Amino acid sequence: MLTIRSFASIPGGTDLTALYRARVGDYPKFFKMDTACKLGFLLAEQLADAPRFEPREDRAVLMFSTCGSLCNDRHYEESVRDFPSPSLFVYTLPNIITGEIAIRNKYAGETSAYVLERFTPETFVALVEQAFQDGDTGSALCGWVDCRADDDFTAFAFLVERGGTGMEFNVENVYGTVSQ
Amino acid sequence: MEQLVNEIKVKLIDALNLDGMTPEDIDDNAPLFGDEGLGLDSIDVLELIVLLERNYGIRLANPQEGKKVFQSVAVMADYVNANRTK
Repeated sequence: MLTIRSFASIPGGTDLTALYRARVGDYPKFFKMDTACKLGFLLAEQLADAPRFEPREDRAVLMFSTCGSLCNDRHYEESVRDFPSPSLFVYTLPNIITGEIAIRNKYAGETSAYVLERFTPETFVALVEQAFQDGDTGSALCGWVDCRADDDFTAFAFLVERGGTGMEFNVENVYGTVSQ
Repeated sequence: MEQLVNEIKVKLIDALNLDGMTPEDIDDNAPLFGDEGLGLDSIDVLELIVLLERNYGIRLANPQEGKKVFQSVAVMADYVNANRTK
């Protein structure tokens, strides 16, 4: 059985730089990230469990959205008019969120980024459960990071584990948690 | 020189889209690359080369030269001071 170890969310419009300075403060690469990556990074920081920064092969990182990297794609498109910015270009893929989280935390399990039509607990739970079927995944940091604009986003994430003592990771509990 | 150091920090933040970072966040002598410093990587070198050319008229043709010039903001400022054409 999969259970929810912890849950984190970042309300739309949150000042992400202020949140970083208050909660993290020691990872200057944060400032390079696009807004979607900043959201994923900050969610992961809130959910990260001890021991920190020790390599682990059994933790997957799965991120979901409808927008993908659209917000940063727009910034990159603007830069192309003058000088196509390599530092913006590298964030024009939705899966870079999972990469940034994996690098920071030394998670070496599966990383996947899904672009869906909309959020439904049914699809979310089904895809996370699927990730656990490889036999190697023991836990997963999985979240919905939908960045429509730099100040307009929906962001939440679960730390889900095989076994554990938390609530069961199922459609009903996911719906109940994200609706609060 | 202090003014030039601060100016380079402002231009770095703008060129590299370091949204939310302030000049005060950047130590003059901290390495620009790698986890210990600003966290820049190889993809950012091109932005720094363009920054030098556009703002100070300095063309870096040799990548090895860039490795030395981009050690830190203080080293960049020394280099700009000695080689600028505008």
